[in-house]
Amino acid sequence: MTAPRKEEVAMMCPRCAWQEVRRLAVSPVAGVWEVLQCARCLYAWRTTEPDRRTRRESYPQAFRMTRADIDAARELPAVPPLREGA
Amino acid sequence: MAYDDLRSFLTALDEQGQLLHVAEQVMPEPDLGAAANAASRLGSGAPALYFDDIAGFTSARVALNVHGSWANHAVAMGMPATTSTREQVEEFVRRWEDFPVPPERRADPPFAENALEGDEVDLFSVLPLFRLNDGDGGFYVDKAAVVSRDPQAPDDFGKQNVGVYRMQVKGRDRLGLQPVPMHDIALHLDEAERAGEDLPVAIALGNDPMISIVAGTPLAYDQSEYEMAGALRGAPAPIATAPLTGFDVPWGCEVLLEGVVEGREREIEGPFGEFTGHYSGGRSMPVVRVDRISYRTDPVFESLYLGMPWTEVDHLIGPATCVPLYQQLKEAFPEVRAVNAMYTHGLLAIVSTAKRYGGFAKAVGLRTMTTPHGLGYCKLVIVVDEDVDPFDLPQVMWALSTKVNPAGDLVNLPGMSVLELDPGSQPPGISNKLVIDATTPVAPDARGHYSQPVADLPEAAAWVGKLQELMSRK
Repeated sequence: MTAPRKEEVAMMCPRCAWQEVRRLAVSPVAGVWEVLQCARCLYAWRTTEPDRRTRRESYPQAFRMTRADIDAARELPAVPPLREGA
Repeated sequence: MAYDDLRSFLTALDEQGQLLHVAEQVMPEPDLGAAANAASRLGSGAPALYFDDIAGFTSARVALNVHGSWANHAVAMGMPATTSTREQVEEFVRRWEDFPVPPERRADPPFAENALEGDEVDLFSVLPLFRLNDGDGGFYVDKAAVVSRDPQAPDDFGKQNVGVYRMQVKGRDRLGLQPVPMHDIALHLDEAERAGEDLPVAIALGNDPMISIVAGTPLAYDQSEYEMAGALRGAPAPIATAPLTGFDVPWGCEVLLEGVVEGREREIEGPFGEFTGHYSGGRSMPVVRVDRISYRTDPVFESLYLGMPWTEVDHLIGPATCVPLYQQLKEAFPEVRAVNAMYTHGLLAIVSTAKRYGGFAKAVGLRTMTTPHGLGYCKLVIVVDEDVDPFDLPQVMWALSTKVNPAGDLVNLPGMSVLELDPGSQPPGISNKLVIDATTPVAPDARGHYSQPVADLPEAAAWVGKLQELMSRK
């Protein structure tokens, strides 16, 4: 597994309120936008998106995610057992 | 007319008035998703959309809704844009009979013009990624052809799979992948993971229109999508050898990603606004590590909007889903006349059939559910008589309203398999399934009073022609 090349920025994840946020990309035209990602729930957003996608206080309840949601997420597909001798 | 790449198809759409170039500058969000969402509400003649001025990007080119209407689907098939839905499906069936048509291997694919490897790999530097729906967990690659091989039969061309699977962009070189257990790549991944290995993949973005169609078609496990593309194109499908994996990939693709599905790894993914018209929820899913990106200079990023049906994905997959179900049913039951399985990937299917004896239509409905595609879809099967056109929904509703007596015409089967994305399944992946027999009972089934149907007058057919002629003179 490749270690994520993360660059942490000070911000809160709109979806799960985690405070470790990394920068995935910046706009090719300098200063227009950045793409950020939560290090916990992996939610990603562009800084120019509407508040309902980028600000914790405006983020819809229906789409919020908690640590418990992540831990309880169903595996799809489930990891199969290792074959004997593998 | 066979297109060898996305660009030639876009040119053809433009020539037929089916490509709308949005020249004004737009924001990546919410404009791109909202425009594609809007295009899917424009009806059967909706155009493809092309954007080349997107805020913050310098050379982004985005194509949306490329298959997003019956008119565009007809052009993809090389047919007049006005061709009816039923005619498009019938032509699909006719060309299907030409399978297999061997592909043509070509050197010097356009995607060899540029490459990034190792630490240089950065999806964001090549693709103008953007979000579709509000609740999506991130940016998605949702119209790519993902190529994988059976780890136990790596040289079997037929078992090499080309399929469309949604992929969440999770990092500069990371994608989340959804392999639904009923789909071929899930079988490949299962084999690799049982052996404790990664599964190599090649992901082709921006393809000729028939590659996208066959990649969304539920072919049999050992049927080659490339050989089917050749049949449906009417010319061998051009393929190239991928530089890292050595896989066979569409020659004309705009961008080629190569890497591996990391064996035995799962990570939170989603939600994503799915073809069911509902979000998928967050689940723990496999991860792709991208090791190489090959791309045409100034690649066109093709994506599709999906959400509340109908959207582009329904036009892309709908006709293609009808045909294998029809072909597989015909093998057992030659009485089957036509299959309309274009609603929500075939979660609902309508089958038209003649009957041998009482109860026969119910057997046809049950067989529909046990075809390879039916195992994951076909939750509701409506069976109608041979003289009911399953593509004519008013006729189907007539059959439902007059031929069905719930006392004997519903077969409700508990505990059947369905794909987890069906929001009604409980637990996810398990559902009751229902056959609705909307055919006229035949002996020894003597239920109902159907001996006095109203038939068209013998002279009506001639009058149809006469009236059409009078109208054409207006």
